[in-house]
Amino acid sequence: MTDLGALFAARAALVVPAAIGPAAAAEVRARLERRGYTRYALVDRGSYDVVAEPDEPALCAALAALAADRLRPTPTAAPPPLAVIDARAVRLGPGDFVLAHHDRVHDDHQLELVLDLSAAPVAGAEVHYRRGGQLYHRVAAAPGALSIVERDGGVTCHHTYVSRRQADAVVRLVLRLRA
Amino acid sequence: MLRLGAAWDDEPALAAAWRAARPFPHLVIDGALAEAAVAELLAVVDEEPVWPYEADLFAFEATAPAPTTAELRALVAAWSAALTPRLGRITGAAIGRADLRAYAYRPGHYLLPHTDHQAGLDRVLAFAYYLPSPEPPRGGELELYRCEVAADELVVTEPAAMIAPAPNRLVVFAVGAASLHQVREVEDGLRLSLAGWFYP
Repeated sequence: MTDLGALFAARAALVVPAAIGPAAAAEVRARLERRGYTRYALVDRGSYDVVAEPDEPALCAALAALAADRLRPTPTAAPPPLAVIDARAVRLGPGDFVLAHHDRVHDDHQLELVLDLSAAPVAGAEVHYRRGGQLYHRVAAAPGALSIVERDGGVTCHHTYVSRRQADAVVRLVLRLRA
Repeated sequence: MLRLGAAWDDEPALAAAWRAARPFPHLVIDGALAEAAVAELLAVVDEEPVWPYEADLFAFEATAPAPTTAELRALVAAWSAALTPRLGRITGAAIGRADLRAYAYRPGHYLLPHTDHQAGLDRVLAFAYYLPSPEPPRGGELELYRCEVAADELVVTEPAAMIAPAPNRLVVFAVGAASLHQVREVEDGLRLSLAGWFYP
C-alpha cells in the first residue's frame, strides 16, 4: 500500500465545483430513494437518513478518478491509483446533524470524498473538518460540488445542524479511498 | 438574598413531583422567583457581555464561563445560597454550591442532545431558568429523552418530554449517563435564560 502522505506534498483539502450535473445528481438521488434510506436516530451522535451501501460503482469509480487527477503532484505526473474502500449516502433534513464524536477517526492515511447531491443549496448545511480542534476545511452547501480531504488520526469531521427553517434536505455521497 | 416565589412553599409536593418525573427526575417550577427579584436579576444580566459560541453541538450567545462583573458574581452567590438548601431537601441530592451563565438564543440557535454528564466534573443537578424576553421565542423548548444504556453507551434515545421556556420558570434535572436533553432550535424571537449546575 502506498502512503498518501508520501504521494502528496501537502495534506489535501479542496473542493471541485460542478463535479456532477443537476440531471445526473437527480438520477442518483432517485436510485438512492429506490434502494431505501434507513433512519439513524441515536441522537447523542446523529440524526439523519443513510444508505449504507449505495450501489453506485460507476459513479464511485469516476469520483475516484477525478480525485486522483486533482491530486497529481505535478501536471505531468501519472494520477495515483486510488481504490474505493467504502461509500455511503446520507440525507439530512431540517433538524438533522452528525456530531464529531460519531465520526470514525482514521489513523491510516485515507481520502474522504463528499459529493453534494442535493437538489438545491441548503443554507448553513456544511461539512466541517477539524485538526486539533481547529476548523481548517469548511464544505459549504453547493449542489454538484465534490470535497476531497486527506484524513489521518488528527482529523475529525461533522455535518452541521440543518435549521428547521430550511425546507429542503441535503444529500451527500461519502466515499473513503485508499492509495 | 434572592427572593423566591410562593411556588417553593410546598416542598413535599415538589419532592413527590421530582420522584415521579419521567424520563428522569426533574422539576418544573413556575413563578420560581418573586417578581421584584426577576427585575433585579434582569438588570444584572443586562450589564454582562455575551459572546457567540459555536461547535458541532451548539450555537448560542452566552456570558463568559466566569462572571466579569461584581454584580453577576454576587448573583451567582445569592442563587447558590437561596436554592442549594431547598433543592437539596427536595431532591435528596448532596449539593453545596452552584454556578451559572446567562444565555441568549436567537433565531437559528440550538443545543443538540447531550447528557451534561462528564467524569470529574461532579455535576449533580442541572438547571435552566427562563427570563422574560422582549421577543418571546418560538422554539427553544427543553426536550428530554428516554434512554437505554448498555456498556456505557446509549443504545436507545426517544423524545419523552418537552418543556417550554416560559418566563420565570425554573427547570431542574438530575445529571447522569442517561439524562439526555436538548434545547430545540429557536425559530423566531429571543430565548433568555440562566443555566448551570449544582455541585457537591
